[in-house]
Amino acid sequence: MKHLTSNVIILILLSLSSFCRAGDSTGASPALLSVPAPAAQKLPYVYTEWRHFTTEDGLPNDHIFAVKADSQRVWVGTENGLACIDKTTGKIRSWQEKDGLPWRVVSALDVNAKTGELWLGLFGGGLARFTGGRFDHWHQLNSGLVNDVVYGVAIENDNVWAATTAGASRYNTVTGEWTIYTEKNAPMEEIWNYGVSYNDGKVYLGIWGSGVLEFDVATESWKDYLDPDGEMEIDLYRDDGIVHVITTGVSFVEDVLWVSSYFGMCRYDGRHWRGFYAHETGLPSDFGNAVKARSATEAWFATDKGISVLADFSSDTWVTYTMDPNTHRGKAVVSQGKKVLEIVDMPRAIPHNYALWTEFDGNDVWVGTSKGLANAAGIGYYKGLKSRARHAATGREAKAAKSDGHETQEPPKRSG
Amino acid sequence: MKCIISISFSITFCISVSLAHEGADKHHVYVGARVCATCHQTENMGHQFSKWLASKHAGAYAVLANPEARKIADLSGIPREPQEAPMCLGCHATGAHAEDWEKDSTFHVEDGVQCEKCHGPGSEYMDAAVMTDRDAAVKAGLMIPKMPDCLGCHQVKGSHVAVHKLPMLDMEKAWRDIAHPTAGSGSHETMPPIPDSAAKSGKPQYVGVYVCSACHRGPEFGYQFSKWRMSRHAVAYAALTTPEAYEIAKKQGVKTSPQASEACLKCHTTVFTNPAGGALDSYSPYEGVGCEACHGAGSNYIPQAIMTDPRAAEASGLRQVTRQTCLQCHENAHGKTFDFDKALATISHPTTPAKAAEAPLYKTPLNMALSPNAEELYVACEASHTVIVVDVRNRRIIAEIQAGHHPTDVTFSPDGATAYVSNRLDDSVSVIDVPSRKVVQTIPVGDEPHGVLTDASGRRLYVLNTSADSISVIDTTTLKEIKRLSASRSPWSLSRSPDNSLIYVTNNLSRFVEFRTPSMSEITVIDAERTAVDSRFVVRAANLLQGVDWHPSGDFALVTLNRTKNLVPMTRLLQGWTITNGLAIVWRDGRVDQVLLDEPNMCFPDPADVAITPDGRLALVTSSGSDRVAVVDIPKLLSILQAASEEERLNVLPNHLGKPTEFVITHIPTKNSPRGVLITPDGKTAFVANALDDSLTVIDLNALEAIATIDLEGSKTITNVRYGELLFHSGDDTYNRQFSCHSCHPDGHIDGLTYDIQPDGIGFSPVDNRTLRGILDTAPFKWEGTNPSLQRQCGPRLAVFFSRIQPFTPEELAALDNYICTIPRPPNRYRPLGAELTEAQRRGKKMFERTTANDGRIIEKGNRCVTCHFPPLYTDRLRHNIGTKLWLDEESEFDTPHLNNIYDSAPYLHNGIAQTLEEIWTRYNPDDQHGVTNDMTKDQLNDLIEYIKTL
Repeated sequence: MKHLTSNVIILILLSLSSFCRAGDSTGASPALLSVPAPAAQKLPYVYTEWRHFTTEDGLPNDHIFAVKADSQRVWVGTENGLACIDKTTGKIRSWQEKDGLPWRVVSALDVNAKTGELWLGLFGGGLARFTGGRFDHWHQLNSGLVNDVVYGVAIENDNVWAATTAGASRYNTVTGEWTIYTEKNAPMEEIWNYGVSYNDGKVYLGIWGSGVLEFDVATESWKDYLDPDGEMEIDLYRDDGIVHVITTGVSFVEDVLWVSSYFGMCRYDGRHWRGFYAHETGLPSDFGNAVKARSATEAWFATDKGISVLADFSSDTWVTYTMDPNTHRGKAVVSQGKKVLEIVDMPRAIPHNYALWTEFDGNDVWVGTSKGLANAAGIGYYKGLKSRARHAATGREAKAAKSDGHETQEPPKRSG
Repeated sequence: MKCIISISFSITFCISVSLAHEGADKHHVYVGARVCATCHQTENMGHQFSKWLASKHAGAYAVLANPEARKIADLSGIPREPQEAPMCLGCHATGAHAEDWEKDSTFHVEDGVQCEKCHGPGSEYMDAAVMTDRDAAVKAGLMIPKMPDCLGCHQVKGSHVAVHKLPMLDMEKAWRDIAHPTAGSGSHETMPPIPDSAAKSGKPQYVGVYVCSACHRGPEFGYQFSKWRMSRHAVAYAALTTPEAYEIAKKQGVKTSPQASEACLKCHTTVFTNPAGGALDSYSPYEGVGCEACHGAGSNYIPQAIMTDPRAAEASGLRQVTRQTCLQCHENAHGKTFDFDKALATISHPTTPAKAAEAPLYKTPLNMALSPNAEELYVACEASHTVIVVDVRNRRIIAEIQAGHHPTDVTFSPDGATAYVSNRLDDSVSVIDVPSRKVVQTIPVGDEPHGVLTDASGRRLYVLNTSADSISVIDTTTLKEIKRLSASRSPWSLSRSPDNSLIYVTNNLSRFVEFRTPSMSEITVIDAERTAVDSRFVVRAANLLQGVDWHPSGDFALVTLNRTKNLVPMTRLLQGWTITNGLAIVWRDGRVDQVLLDEPNMCFPDPADVAITPDGRLALVTSSGSDRVAVVDIPKLLSILQAASEEERLNVLPNHLGKPTEFVITHIPTKNSPRGVLITPDGKTAFVANALDDSLTVIDLNALEAIATIDLEGSKTITNVRYGELLFHSGDDTYNRQFSCHSCHPDGHIDGLTYDIQPDGIGFSPVDNRTLRGILDTAPFKWEGTNPSLQRQCGPRLAVFFSRIQPFTPEELAALDNYICTIPRPPNRYRPLGAELTEAQRRGKKMFERTTANDGRIIEKGNRCVTCHFPPLYTDRLRHNIGTKLWLDEESEFDTPHLNNIYDSAPYLHNGIAQTLEEIWTRYNPDDQHGVTNDMTKDQLNDLIEYIKTL
């Protein structure tokens, strides 16, 4: 397993490098490029105000693996350091190994809302806590942490969970007790934990090859969610369960579980599963790196080809943000399933289409990519759909949308 | 005979046979000596059971009821009944560290050191089919001890020698004394059947002594069970196996062995004396002449409701003992005369035992708080477990409030209606309603709470958990802990900034640092608005940051500190270069200056607390090691700092012994061991808590002199232990008063440093500083194990390497050692007394006691955890080479440390190189020399550590 793990890590890093491109700013006008406003239609909110942060702005590295908004601060985990953006002053402060950061690759972040402590998952370096300017470091030699390759971190009450390549660890910060969950004591068919999240009394683990595991904190019992189609990489019977056992991210909000995998995404409301694939939704790719849900009906998927937002579950309405690799301009495609409702061209959206993380910050959103961090201002944000003027695609954009795999929809004709 | 084998035994037997058959994973359970007696009692078996019953081993539990046991416990810092203390029961009983479920109902702890103490829990090997095959029995868990195994309990213990004055046990003789070979020949006769209860239905039945002992064993019942167990009545049955008994039986024409003769059993057991209605399963004739022999069969009167009503008890069969009761057996027994009155006095067992002489009660005031109206002073008194209330105007005690154990600090709510007291030994905070002066609630917090303080609103109470390195934040409305902040190591005391926005927390121990690098201590800064840690200021090369007070300007706070030069040999003492003592000036922006309070010929050992006058002009600093208060001229101090260059502030002033004379105005003498200091809001008066004088010194701040002493009314008798405590905390016995024992062992515990003690070159043979809590019986001392006693450790050795002046006198040494022995070990936080192990701890115990590695290979006995770390002390007190020798070390074998409360004394190993328990095995046991651990999975190692923390 170790051998496999290291190979996959190398592959991931190589793929990250191949996606990196120089330059992130187009310098173009921030005005929307759109056709004259047609009739009002119920449409989702589209983020059009984007800012980018890169090493030029003070980030220690452009490979952004994790973002955590914490009041007036935004913590950023990169491939070579931790950064903190002070939203009040706009200043960026960073920490690398020379500054006391215990390990260079910060792969996961979470904040203990009670104590304000920042917890860091370190890819190959274990787990760290940053509080009051001091890093405390736990790894497999000096603590009960099961493995140093930490992909995900989540705070659950007084406990810290770490999703690692050799199982999950739960650290009780009050008693100091470490509990390890592997195939020995959890229904973990594989032990390579990719993602972990906590909400409303439940911890969810996204596991490479073992689907999703649910840990009920009150009863300390496990429940597993596996792909009824086994390890087949096609979905034989749709909506019969999780789309694939190779899961990468989990998010549980308003009693709804959202899952990202390398073979599509899915949603579970406790009774019904629903799978999402690129060939029938606004998703630009089935290769999901992470998912973050905002509500029972809205979730953001970070994929290898852009960020896709299921903005309204009931109407299957999506907003997908990408960057034009040639012009570096941004684009948001609003679609219902594959039907494009609107294409919004903008000076910038995400800095790179290989997206690794999303984070909500009130109405704003942060996106971590393999070439910098993006912040989208949610001015006037609204949930779900709302009647508003639709921005029709230009001919060039419609063509581009088609080439992306979207079906374009003619704007409804004005009546009378 | 059949009927004396209890149902539970039968069940256990059946289960064990069944499991053996199925080859299931077996867990060994204690079954008790009486089950062994089933086979090991007959003449042809050498009356093995009776031999044990008549031995001291069988009475080992009972002797813990003796006053001597209490003395030993006191001497060893064991603050509880010996018959309940795992430390005592570890050698005076069997299975003391087993959980309840690991003991069958046939097992009784009251049987003291039973067969299974030496031979291991018997559930898996007790079956006759197994026991008759030695190899099979050993495979099933039967242990065949050798003489060295006895040393686990029978090594010389200082505590026992001090009380009993007994010479060292002659092991050869002892081994012969307890020898119990099978006879190989002789009678197979067994005891005649117990009179059939069914035939006499309606009559009360015998219940046996263990039923009585459920109530009649503790001090509240005068240890009645133990008194019986130590009497000859308890061995009356066993006595029938002696040659004398055989002789008597022969003379009386008894044809069988005495234990098979009803004629003998009639007076040597209870049930045969007066068959009554027979016996319940709980009864065994092996008990000899038990309670019911005199008091009548108990089945009808044993319910508590009846026993507490004398008339009802009598009506239910409880007999009053009369002369006739005894004469029934003792009249002309075997030609001996019987003196009833003398015999009655001998077996007397009143409910109320003779009252022991009360030890002197001290107060030991540590810290104080002034009520917001400045009228009352609350004093936290460690030794009396109280808060003493002093009327400030009249300077006299007006109340004493019982708090929890070891009150350490006290604070008022801003409205003065409530006071909060930290109870260090109980891990709690007592909430005192000030108007009624009563504790109205107790709040559980973290390990060993020390400093307490509210925010300015009074809505949040901060409690420093000294042994958990954390800060509990209490909501004072709900009186519940709402969060726990991370401190550094051993948070000690705290102070709120004048604008109420920040709280500075001192940390007694340095952070962990790289091996052989200087200390790095921390001031933890709390943002009071967010109740979160805002920043952490580093105080370099310093440790024991204790007292703290903000300057009224709000620009800085003063913090007391030590600068311990643990990286150079202690011989540098003569250059004033071992431990220096001073102050940190901790600025609001995180800058830290340091200055010393020592002067070339007169040091200022153990600065404990600091208080600044309301006008910001003076600071008072207590030196608990030299019984003085230093008065610091703050403007002068600041001007020295301002005049200094950066280089001087960084590297010169922190070590400059000449500077204090420029800013210390005067020293004011106090009484013994001044700790807390407090200044009244009008700036006219200061109070100093004299911990070892049970008094407060009152200082006139205009005259800068002590003007009064407030007697807190502790005992004026200075016991040997108290005298030792005084010596321990005094710097008088070191060159230029540089430090005291307390400087390196604050409050008897650790300072977390690794020292270079010997003059063998800088950095050679570094040794970790070990705790003094509960060390009395863990000799030898020193990591190399070369000091056989505390006298040796604290005597010439101390003078040679530490104090560099005349060693303690023999009287002083005796007192000092006496005190050190009594430093109590706090209750274990990971397994409260009587609590069951958690699942993880239980799995860890299995790892601790395992005999095979994960791949099935047998682990050599010498390389098992439990071989060197066995209960109750968890040390074999021998030296071993566990592969931890570094190139810096001269020795390769080191003393085996005890593991009791091991979790609170990091770092670990002889040189303190392991910062956590995990590192002992993940980093520093590459060749499995320190136990076989490299085959363990991570979760197994986690379990092992969880268990080790319970010891």
